[in-house]
Amino acid sequence: MAETTANPKISTRNVNVYYGEKKAIDNVSIDVDMDNVTAFIGPSGCGKSTFLRSLNRMNDTIVGARVEGNILLDGQDIYASSMDVVQLRARVGMVFQKPNPFPKSIYDNVAYGPRIHGLAAGKAELDQIVESALTRAGLWGEVKDRLGDSGTALSGGQQQRLCIARAIAVDPEVILMDEPCSALDPIATARIEELIHDLRGKYAIIIVTHNMQQAARVSQRTAFFHLGNLIEFGETSEIFTNPREDRTKDYITGRYG
Amino acid sequence: MTGTALLFLVLGLGLVAWIVGRARAATFVRAAKGGPRGQVNSLPSYHGWFVAVCAVVPAVLFMFIWQSISPALVTNMVLSAPAASDLPQDGFSRAAILSEARAIAQGLQTTAFQAQSEKLAPLYKDALSYYSWIGMAGTLVLLFAGGAFAFTRLKPDFRARNKVERLVMVGLLFASLIAIITTLGIFASLIFESYQFFSMVSPFEFLFGTDWNPKSVVTAGADNGYGAIPLFWGTIFIGAIIAMLVAIPLGLMSAIFLTQYASSNVRKWMKPILEILAGVPTVVYGYFAALTVAPTVRDFAVMLGVSNAASDNALAAGIVMGVMIIPLVSSMSDDSIAAVPNAMRDGSLAMGATKSETIKQVLLPAALPGVVGGVLLAVSRAIGETMIVVMAAGYTANLTANPFDTITTVTVQIVALLTGDQDFGSPHTLAAFALGLALFVTTFFLNYVALRVVKRYREAYE
Amino acid sequence: MSLCAWSNAIVKLMNNATIDPTPTDWNGAVMQKRIAKRYAAERRFKAMGFIAVALSTLFLAFLLFTMLGQGLRGFQRTEVAVEFDFPALTSGATAASITGPNADTTLNSMDIPGIVELAVSQQYGDQGSELLTSAAAANVRQMLADNPQLVTAKQTLWLPAESRLDVAYKRKGEPASEKTVAALEQKDALRSGFNWTFLTGADATDPSAVGIWAAFKGSLMTMAITLLLAFPVGVFAALYLEEYAPKNKLTDMIEVSINNLAAVPSIIFGLLGLAVFLTMFGMPRSSALVGGLTLALMTMPVIVIAGRNAVKSVPPSIREAALGIGASPVQVVFHHVLPLALPGILTGTIIGMARALGETAPLLMIGMRAFIPSPPQGFTDAATALPVQIYLWSDEVNQGFVEKTSAAIIVLLIFLLGMNALAIYLRNRFETRW
Repeated sequence: MAETTANPKISTRNVNVYYGEKKAIDNVSIDVDMDNVTAFIGPSGCGKSTFLRSLNRMNDTIVGARVEGNILLDGQDIYASSMDVVQLRARVGMVFQKPNPFPKSIYDNVAYGPRIHGLAAGKAELDQIVESALTRAGLWGEVKDRLGDSGTALSGGQQQRLCIARAIAVDPEVILMDEPCSALDPIATARIEELIHDLRGKYAIIIVTHNMQQAARVSQRTAFFHLGNLIEFGETSEIFTNPREDRTKDYITGRYG
Repeated sequence: MTGTALLFLVLGLGLVAWIVGRARAATFVRAAKGGPRGQVNSLPSYHGWFVAVCAVVPAVLFMFIWQSISPALVTNMVLSAPAASDLPQDGFSRAAILSEARAIAQGLQTTAFQAQSEKLAPLYKDALSYYSWIGMAGTLVLLFAGGAFAFTRLKPDFRARNKVERLVMVGLLFASLIAIITTLGIFASLIFESYQFFSMVSPFEFLFGTDWNPKSVVTAGADNGYGAIPLFWGTIFIGAIIAMLVAIPLGLMSAIFLTQYASSNVRKWMKPILEILAGVPTVVYGYFAALTVAPTVRDFAVMLGVSNAASDNALAAGIVMGVMIIPLVSSMSDDSIAAVPNAMRDGSLAMGATKSETIKQVLLPAALPGVVGGVLLAVSRAIGETMIVVMAAGYTANLTANPFDTITTVTVQIVALLTGDQDFGSPHTLAAFALGLALFVTTFFLNYVALRVVKRYREAYE
Repeated sequence: MSLCAWSNAIVKLMNNATIDPTPTDWNGAVMQKRIAKRYAAERRFKAMGFIAVALSTLFLAFLLFTMLGQGLRGFQRTEVAVEFDFPALTSGATAASITGPNADTTLNSMDIPGIVELAVSQQYGDQGSELLTSAAAANVRQMLADNPQLVTAKQTLWLPAESRLDVAYKRKGEPASEKTVAALEQKDALRSGFNWTFLTGADATDPSAVGIWAAFKGSLMTMAITLLLAFPVGVFAALYLEEYAPKNKLTDMIEVSINNLAAVPSIIFGLLGLAVFLTMFGMPRSSALVGGLTLALMTMPVIVIAGRNAVKSVPPSIREAALGIGASPVQVVFHHVLPLALPGILTGTIIGMARALGETAPLLMIGMRAFIPSPPQGFTDAATALPVQIYLWSDEVNQGFVEKTSAAIIVLLIFLLGMNALAIYLRNRFETRW
């Protein structure tokens, strides 16, 4: 039941993910485009985070993890030997569940990516990139006077926006967000959701969430995962108002989850 | 009767006391079963323990106290006898005669080299047996008195368990206090002997003098050759510079390789091998350094054109010491890197950083306090290390930065000063304690700071 | 910086913060070159790590091979064939006279050293007795005691050769000794045998007559004292600190003391032993008793720290369960916590004991460096320990001591590695994950 899009940024075909012997994702095919925010929802342990991590090969860091099937970024197989994982991750950025700023200054946190990838020709350009990324992440106004402070000294919500700024700074094409608000309070969550709205269209965004309201608020398309299977994928409004599958309906109406 | 036999007798009687106490309590239990008074407070074996402890502990304490004071009493008794009046007044020959007489009296020696000891031996024999009888009688009296006292206290409602448990707690507390007593003992003995040393040699000369050539007779105000600067320098040069130049890169890189790059199979084999490196005794390292490494280093130096390369050069000792320290640096770095949250690593990898970039720019800076703490501990280990430098480094104090030259260290000199005929109280012996004090204070400080740094670091990521 | 990157940079500079920059050209030549460079750095870094581990391993292997290469020869001795015409030499001693209860007296009265000297000089000339080690007579005496029948006939006995000869036979020695070896080999009068003396003997001035038993026994006695004192004290202190200690100044002081003692240089413990046990209490110098006491103070903190970790890892639920059925705090600890923590405590104890067994410096301070020609009979006798014996032999000038030193090191390492292996086995076997 592959949902196809005319101009997909990422498209996956018959993807299986294994942890050792255990199959965590079973035969998932999905397309993600630049214009829409895509949400992955489902009960905990359904494999949505696992699937997300396989989109920028973060599963490579887990011993015993194995991916089958095709995951294409702009038509290129990201698991092909010609694909360079360092470049891939620069193009497909990621924001984690818990804010994880490096124990460095705010400036160095954002500048980290451009520096390692050599994206800035000089100090002035690097300043420019940092300011631009922080501005886009909606953090510039709050931190512009204390760029030298440690990133870990910020509040939880600010830390998460810093992590988003850090991801934006390397000029990615896709941003993966793994439950980015689960460690935040409601006000900080609202800021992040606004930010996702603002970033829509500039990057292909995929957000994993266990909060259905959040999925409904921020996404245009939604994929429902259950026990490693993709149950349903379609327009968010469709999924929430008129799910085709009973399991989706049960989950959305709070029967389980 | 010898002390060991007496000890066994006391312990045997303690067992008897236990059995008696337990049997007594068992009669309470039997009586209580039929009677109206309900249960006996404690199990019979606790009554037994109560009686046994009350009997044995005071007796054993008395035995040990008596063992330590009776030699002085014996000597006094011998000296007060008329036959001892013509002993030489000179302390050294007097002590020699007395100890020989004692050895004959105890049957350790059969013939006397000095006539006077032969004469004193029977006196000694009498005194020894006199005091050992007193000691034995005192021990046994205390044992029976303690046992009897405890036995009379046994009653059905006697809370024997609480009493025994309180004694156990006192025992546990005492065991813990031994650590403090040891620390104080070290400190007190070092301070006391050093104080005596500094009343002969000025602290100023010791701490700031550059001439180490200790004379056995010292004159106040003159240069006595007790300037310890060359020793301090040698210790730092070998332990904190050369050894660390070997241990820090190798230990840190080993830890990085094993935790970040090696497969779990490689790790399973390599970690124990590094641990073996830590388990090799220092005397083996010292022998290896002196026998194999030092000649190689000297030949290498000669090849380089260093004409005055010594066979007991600083470099060989430093290198081998560095190898000895590798496991310490490696395991401390390993712990520190492992304590950095995985989210940090993932965050960096997800940005497209390579592994080495992640390690160098994120993991190591985050783990730095822990690594620094480990290095401080390693330095403290290195400067206190004795056998490697005793066997491979030199005995000549030398204020030089040439690693191919011979250099001596604080620990080498402590060993050297205490070797040979030592008269406790000579400036040589006392100087060893002054050096020991310097070493103790330095390592104490390093350890304290290192543990604080590491602890603070651990807390930061918890 | 190439043109392409510059133009990229200029474009970026012209954009203000809100306008999209041009997408990074990941496939451009500049970026590809940069990535190749980064991967090269990655490989270099990984190689450095590998080299570090390899160097450490190689050093260990080199050390062990050196010791084995030299030390294995120490377990061998060179033997010289000597013909004994016993009936003539002993003027007709009978097998019966050297059996039974009077054997010792008869053997003592036989002047065996004289007999040996006579027999050798008859066969190899006046310098003949210089071929044999000083322990040769004792060897002959032992052979006669073991097999009295020998005395009734002419015998060829193989006796241990003197040290220089021994060295020359095994590898290159002094020219004079090499010549002697060649001469003896022609007569088939030289062979190699297992050096039992090395395992059963004591220190001697002649390297071909030395053994490690005296030093090893000294080590065993020292370790016995250490274990007897350090283990109970260490375990009790660990139990007190983990289970009962209130949070106060005293407890803090105990903790600081223990952590500090665990890291104090061992030589300082030697100074303590010298100042307190020898000088203040007047305990016997060089004795296993004082050695054991000193090492016990050094080992105790190791046991306390390991013990605390083991006690800490026993889950609180077990304590609560025992308390819940009315056990007293002391019963909880001695009936439940201690048995569960014991494997961990034992592991720590074995590691601490292994460290103490290899320790040399503090024993030097308390005089255990004496020349000990016979094994100590009691805890207050003058004794030495195996590592100290290694140190003493390493200082000897005589070439023959090199292989003996290495051989003693092999014995020491076997024991230490065995103890460490046992500790690792215990840790893996009994490690419980709660």
